[in-house]
Amino acid sequence: MAQPRAAAKSQDAVNEDEQEDKAPDTKLYEELGELARFIDTTMKTLSEFSAPVNASTEQLPQAQTHLLNLKTQTEQGTHRVMLEVEAIQDNHARISQMLKEMTQALQQTKVSPALIQQMHTLTRTLGQDDKRLLDIMTALSFQDLVAQSVNKLVTILDEVEHKLLQLVVVFGPYQTQAAKTDQGKASEMLKQLEATKNASMDQDLADEILKQFGFN
Amino acid sequence: MPADPNMKILVVDDMSTMRRIVKNILKQLGFNNLEEAENGQEALTKLKADTYGFVVSDWNMPVMMGIDLLRAIRADEKLKKIPVLMVTAEAQKENLMEAVQAGVSNYVVKPFTAETMQEKINKIFK
Repeated sequence: MAQPRAAAKSQDAVNEDEQEDKAPDTKLYEELGELARFIDTTMKTLSEFSAPVNASTEQLPQAQTHLLNLKTQTEQGTHRVMLEVEAIQDNHARISQMLKEMTQALQQTKVSPALIQQMHTLTRTLGQDDKRLLDIMTALSFQDLVAQSVNKLVTILDEVEHKLLQLVVVFGPYQTQAAKTDQGKASEMLKQLEATKNASMDQDLADEILKQFGFN
Repeated sequence: MPADPNMKILVVDDMSTMRRIVKNILKQLGFNNLEEAENGQEALTKLKADTYGFVVSDWNMPVMMGIDLLRAIRADEKLKKIPVLMVTAEAQKENLMEAVQAGVSNYVVKPFTAETMQEKINKIFK
């Protein structure tokens, strides 16, 4: 049973000798070839992500628009509620003044003290409602916090869009033959993309990059 | 010295809803001479063009941040004594320290109530 093992060992020794016999240049060339194949396979594998990346990149501007619409709609809704609250506050101010004048006038006549007391109760109730109206007003400050969160999300999405477009530019040429011919232009656009990294990217540039890689 | 109800107050915030809320609260507190600005730069221009007794400012704004407006006010010989109340969502200790070092008169964290604002104004003008 030990014979095959000995034979295998002997074959290994022969292979090692063959490896050592190869010229260093040939060995290096083979390793480089292997490395090139590995890079090629990796690039192809990565390019398979192009479809989902492209889909996401196309959807990001829509997501940003939805978020900005959310901000605008909450702002408009908040102003609508504020308008009504302010109208009630103004009415309350007028009613309060009228109640005060009526109470003073009634106090100078011989009306029932119970009626005067009712007038005071009305004034107090109105004051309590004014406090509630002010609470509604301050509670509407939620819109400012929502807007700030939306702004942060839009900034994050903008950054993600930059990164995804960079991927489209780098791996896009593997996907379409047409893109190969536009590689020079793609590199130029990648530079433009880098230049706009810290600013809001021009949508035209984003669209142009996508168009170069066949996404209309 | 109690707050003068006729003093001109500048409300600075990039969000129109917040300017409206702060102005409403100030109105309910008896202040009627109210002006507004959308950012620090616009506020600074208004402050230099007129006489204001009080500034209520947000922190996060485009063009010029509230903290930069505060520094500009404190650096200006004509404006440096105007009380400045910061109303902000920046609730971190570092922000507060930065505002204190820049010479803020008081600091309100969003969301806030009318009572909190009144309390801060009372402290500023006591």
